[in-house]
Amino acid sequence: MAQQEQRVERELTMSRAMVEAIAHEMREDEEVFYMGEDVADYGGIFDSTEGLLSEFGHDRIMDVPISETAYLGAAVGAAQQGMRPIAELMFVDFFGVAMDQIYNGMAKNTYMSGGAVNVPMVLTAAVGGTYNDAAQHSQTLYGTFAHMAGMKVVVPSTAYDAKGLMHNAIRDDDPVVYLFHKRLMGIGWMPAPDGPKTPVPEDEYTIPFGSADIKREGEDVTVVTLGLHVHRALEAAESLAGEGTSVEIIDLRSLVPLDTETIRESVAKTGRLVVVDEDYRSFGVTGEIIARVAEGSLSDLEAVERVAVPDVPIPYARPMEDEVIPGVEDIETAVRNADSK
Amino acid sequence: MSASDDRVAVEAAAVWPDDVDEEEGVVVNWFAREGRVVTEGEAVCEIQIEKVDVDVPAPVAGELVEIVLEEDAECTRGATLGWIDPE
Repeated sequence: MAQQEQRVERELTMSRAMVEAIAHEMREDEEVFYMGEDVADYGGIFDSTEGLLSEFGHDRIMDVPISETAYLGAAVGAAQQGMRPIAELMFVDFFGVAMDQIYNGMAKNTYMSGGAVNVPMVLTAAVGGTYNDAAQHSQTLYGTFAHMAGMKVVVPSTAYDAKGLMHNAIRDDDPVVYLFHKRLMGIGWMPAPDGPKTPVPEDEYTIPFGSADIKREGEDVTVVTLGLHVHRALEAAESLAGEGTSVEIIDLRSLVPLDTETIRESVAKTGRLVVVDEDYRSFGVTGEIIARVAEGSLSDLEAVERVAVPDVPIPYARPMEDEVIPGVEDIETAVRNADSK
Repeated sequence: MSASDDRVAVEAAAVWPDDVDEEEGVVVNWFAREGRVVTEGEAVCEIQIEKVDVDVPAPVAGELVEIVLEEDAECTRGATLGWIDPE
């Protein structure tokens, strides 16, 4: 009984939950290895690999030079040879230097080889702002990876989801882009909101991609979001409940594949859709979600609002960054607008 | 909270590095809530000293009956972080 209780009640930060899944998969399969900048001796600058070096050593937890093209290309090659690499792009903003390896290699080699090779690798990257790290270290870029065919794209918002999605990502035979928000990791110098630290079972479990999670049930307005903004939406919903507005919050958890069905079912119930994203407003996740609902169930839609970063680089100055990244009040306003239409 | 005198303190001193001058740290994370049964040696919380995070292990197995310093609270080398009622 006590054992059972303990299993349920142990709480982990998101980074520890991710690391637990990685360590488990590395014990089970010696083909799994991790490489990236500062992932070994430093433990990952956002604690994404904390503690792995001491168990697995430098052969399987590998620091690399600042050489994104080289090591992401190496990961693609290793994956094609039957290994299961996890390669960390320290900041998602740095993807540009290795765009060919990601977009033309990792994403396409299975297709272009007629299925002769597959690329069972995981590309992890830190996303998000809200800590004044300026325009080249604060982007979220969910849409950039979801836009091109060939990659699955995963975005956890809690420790529980982070572990289950990581198990699933490492076992997947296709390339998976696993984007973790820095603000959710639970590191000391960048405190997380209350939500991401959750009970996490010690046993392994998987969360299938393409299964959105209804993080809060409601009747009046559907909010679709992911990552950090799940927690901001939950805070907004709590405040709006006091005004008598019942908000349903859908956490997408993966963008590719996208669980369109859960979104449409929710909009069929509420009629009002608000999409919240920390990525740029144009040509991105918010537009895609709204388009999917419009295509399949246009007659259910009574109101639509989107909350995203205006199409400007993320500012360095704190008040300016706070202005462009959607906050709790921005979400509240959008829900009120949708609800009054 | 338990009135038992057998309670064992979870102490910052157990993990405070000898080679730092810093006498203040911050409680960063608790991994257990009050009422949870923990095993000896399990990390029950994490403190940060001079920008380094250190796990604090449970000194004994038992129930975490009291959290004395909550997350974001400052702690000193001699601080009691919480209390465990041994099994």
